[in-house]
Amino acid sequence: MGEVEVTALRDVSLDVRDGELLAMLGPSGSGKSTLLNLIGGLDQPTSGKVYFRDRDLTRLSRAELTLYRRDAVGFVFQFYNLVPNLTARENVLVSTEISRDPLDVDEALRLVGLEERADHFPAQMSGGEQQRVAIARALAKKPELLLCDEPTGALDFETGKRILRLLVDVKQKLGKTVLIITHNSAIAAIADRVIRLRSGEVVETTEHPAPTPPEEIIW
Amino acid sequence: MSVLDRKLARELRTSGGLLTAITSIMAVGVGCYVALGFAYQNLSIAKREYYARCRMADFAVEVKKAPLAEIVPLAEIPGVVEIRPRIQFFATVDLPRVEEPLNGIVLSLPDRRQPVINDVVLRRGGYFTDVRDNEVIVNDSFAKRQGLYPGQWVHLLLNNRRQELFIVGTAVSSEFTYLVGPGAITPDPEHLGVFYLKRSFAEDVFDFDGAANQVLGRLAPNVRDRPEEVLRRAELHLEPYGVFTSVPLSEQPSNRFLSNEIEGLEAFGFINPAIFLSVAALVLNVLMTRLTEQQRVVVGTLKALGYLDRQVFAHFLKFGLCVGLLSGVLGTAMGYWLSDAMTAMYRKFFEFPTLDTRFYLDTFVQGMVISLVCSLLGSVHGARAVLKLEPAEAMRPKPPTRGGAIWLERFRGFWGRLSFGSRMTLRNIVRHRFRTAAGMFAAAMGASLLVNALMLVDETHRMIDFQFNQVQRSDVDLAFKDEQGLAALDEARRLPGVDYAEPVFDVACTFVNGSHVRKGGITGLDPNARLTIPRDAEGRRLRIPSAGLTMNRKLAELLHLEHGDLVTIHPVKGLREPHCVPVAEINDAYLGLAVYADIHYLSRLVHEEWAVSGVQLAVNPNREAHRDLYRELKRLPALQAVTARADTIANVVDTLVKNQQVFIFLLVMFAGVIFFGSVLNSSLIGLAEREREVATLLVLGYTERQVGGLFLRESLLVNTFGTLFGLPLGYGLNVAISIAYDTDLFRIPVVDPKIIWLESLALGTLFALGAHAIVERTIWRMNWLEALKTKE
Repeated sequence: MGEVEVTALRDVSLDVRDGELLAMLGPSGSGKSTLLNLIGGLDQPTSGKVYFRDRDLTRLSRAELTLYRRDAVGFVFQFYNLVPNLTARENVLVSTEISRDPLDVDEALRLVGLEERADHFPAQMSGGEQQRVAIARALAKKPELLLCDEPTGALDFETGKRILRLLVDVKQKLGKTVLIITHNSAIAAIADRVIRLRSGEVVETTEHPAPTPPEEIIW
Repeated sequence: MSVLDRKLARELRTSGGLLTAITSIMAVGVGCYVALGFAYQNLSIAKREYYARCRMADFAVEVKKAPLAEIVPLAEIPGVVEIRPRIQFFATVDLPRVEEPLNGIVLSLPDRRQPVINDVVLRRGGYFTDVRDNEVIVNDSFAKRQGLYPGQWVHLLLNNRRQELFIVGTAVSSEFTYLVGPGAITPDPEHLGVFYLKRSFAEDVFDFDGAANQVLGRLAPNVRDRPEEVLRRAELHLEPYGVFTSVPLSEQPSNRFLSNEIEGLEAFGFINPAIFLSVAALVLNVLMTRLTEQQRVVVGTLKALGYLDRQVFAHFLKFGLCVGLLSGVLGTAMGYWLSDAMTAMYRKFFEFPTLDTRFYLDTFVQGMVISLVCSLLGSVHGARAVLKLEPAEAMRPKPPTRGGAIWLERFRGFWGRLSFGSRMTLRNIVRHRFRTAAGMFAAAMGASLLVNALMLVDETHRMIDFQFNQVQRSDVDLAFKDEQGLAALDEARRLPGVDYAEPVFDVACTFVNGSHVRKGGITGLDPNARLTIPRDAEGRRLRIPSAGLTMNRKLAELLHLEHGDLVTIHPVKGLREPHCVPVAEINDAYLGLAVYADIHYLSRLVHEEWAVSGVQLAVNPNREAHRDLYRELKRLPALQAVTARADTIANVVDTLVKNQQVFIFLLVMFAGVIFFGSVLNSSLIGLAEREREVATLLVLGYTERQVGGLFLRESLLVNTFGTLFGLPLGYGLNVAISIAYDTDLFRIPVVDPKIIWLESLALGTLFALGAHAIVERTIWRMNWLEALKTKE
């Protein structure tokens, strides 16, 4: 049996600005995860270029990509992806141990409001708490880019809003560039800019000069 | 400790069952390696030191009687460094507290202490003094068993005279490290002693003034490995004085038993660990593949966070290394303990001045390295999967496992009749091909160990039964110092308690068939002998031909002779004329190389009228009768040795069989570890993989037992098929061992394995059921609601 070639992205041209919160909106299969993976250095395109500042990511070796992820990128996943048999603090340690100039682990946990739960294992925490650990883990490396793949996808409404507030704070207070992938258009309202993807193509770009605070959105 | 190491430590702690399964198999492998290696070195070092200390002879030539003046020139033969003439006789020993007469080997030692070949190491008391002529040094194990101490008197029948001897000391000597009487396989320190007399006294009592009947010699290092030429020239020189045998060190009985044991340790030190470690590596492989699959998302996340491939790879490899390290340490501890037990057992068989259990750093390091390499080999495949995983791909849910039909389903009639459980079982077995193969390999190895171990038990019993119940049936054997006439037989018949007596005539001789030469002996028997019955391998009685020989199959092989061939014999008796005689029958025996002939025919060959060298007795089983007989035998001056069959059997059972039982028990347990560990490993992995499936079945209303039954069916099927492969393998292993041990000392009769195959199958199933008990307990304890909730 031969493999079927699927084109995930086509003719996508996108600039991400320093310090903005960018939402990428689209139904499943629209190519938003692929785009995030390309930006995050998890994947390489078959053609085209990806630049981070002046560096062409498509010309980097596997090991160089790893170092790029290590130094510049923080990931937040839909299902948190914590290591189950490590405590909250240790899960953050997982990223600080390979980082050149990390945040203090407790400082990172304080940023997400979890200093009290530092010694709990993932199984002993709620979904929202686990996602906050994951954000602390991402922030602890002091990344320039925070990439969030459906960060509220597995959470209930109220918890989801609290996570979004945290991400907005990351942008506003820490000055990081935050990319959020979502299929939920209501969430996109908190972004400075929204790009809408369909079948691998960017179909619309919207600027929000005054984004909605997470507390006010409804879905 | 890095956080990944902390993760690893917790994983190791929580995977107790799996870790136990794999570590126990690997630890047994390392344990065997260390135990056999340590025991090997304990024995080799003790042997080397002992031989050097006693100046062990490189050869011995036995003659009827040669003047010292004729022996001295032997030292001139190129390659001979030093020689020592010695007087050697057999004697019976009369201890007042012991009913039966005991046997003794009497040897001369210089009157004054001086370093000699085959010297003694004194244990208690001291060397000869000038106070008395009739001083004696007794070998230590006999003295201990019989409660003899320096300062006591002991009575020996020397040259037909009862001699009172004063014990000055006890000693051991390297030539009797393994002290066995003629034809015996186990040392019997209770019934056989060694007595060292002053040379001057021995010359006196044996009428050997200025003469000797044994020459010991040491060779230059460059000819030590090929003493044949030296021995040939020595025999030629001593020819006029009647050469009985010439024995190089490699043929010396004690040295042969000891060296055989050491070589056996070396061979098993390789085979046994190899079996366990190969199984362990495979089982670990299954475990590691599962571990990396289970942790796909973690791998992906770590990579996304910026961990390098090699960091993640090393992290998973460390799991295997920990298994290796743990197994290495546990195995070494077990191995040391086992080597200590083995060495303690060896102390019962072998008499050394010191035989200690020591710790050998090099063997320990080798054991650890083997354990680590084996664990690395077992984990590298699984860990390599980590390298291939792309982070983006790893974090996506795993594509559904290969579903679809398996090839068995093409047989619709068969498949249609199977229950849903059986179909599930078969699909799982066929889909997890590698895991199934690993499970079958483990079962096959376990089964082959079981078959071999159980066969060895049967074979020992068969050997004892064949040799001591079917071939040798006399109750007491008497050996005379010199040939006797018919009167001796009549006298034996009249001894108290004797129901029946048969004559025996032993003639030492050399068998020659072209270039094939072998020293040995022929036993002349009454043509209608009832107390020694030559038999073939099927146990059929063989006739004693009126002309020609009934030759042992092994000897016939060594001489390249077949039924009906002619062989030349050079008897060391009578006129010593060579004769060409036919091999009329080939007999089978598992001890020694017996050759039988009609006693009349044999007497004629050596030109004796009618001679007996010994008598075999059937004795009234009544205890009183035995006591009377022994009392009378103690008074008979012409006796050289008295052997009671019951004592021999009891001794063989007590030493050989009992120790073998311990050894076999260990082997069976070790095989059990393989079955147990392999089944436990694959079941627990299956359980972890199919947690949701199990939870769903439980929710649907299946009982824990029914769900467990699905796993049991799978285990038993794999286990049984593997075992079936292992059964002939075990038989093959047993045949290989019997070939390796096929020597002129003893041979292992390979028994029919059918019943043992059934037993092994049952045992293997039992071990698998034992492992399943743990699997079932795990199912009972499972939090199935939690299992249903999990997303991965």
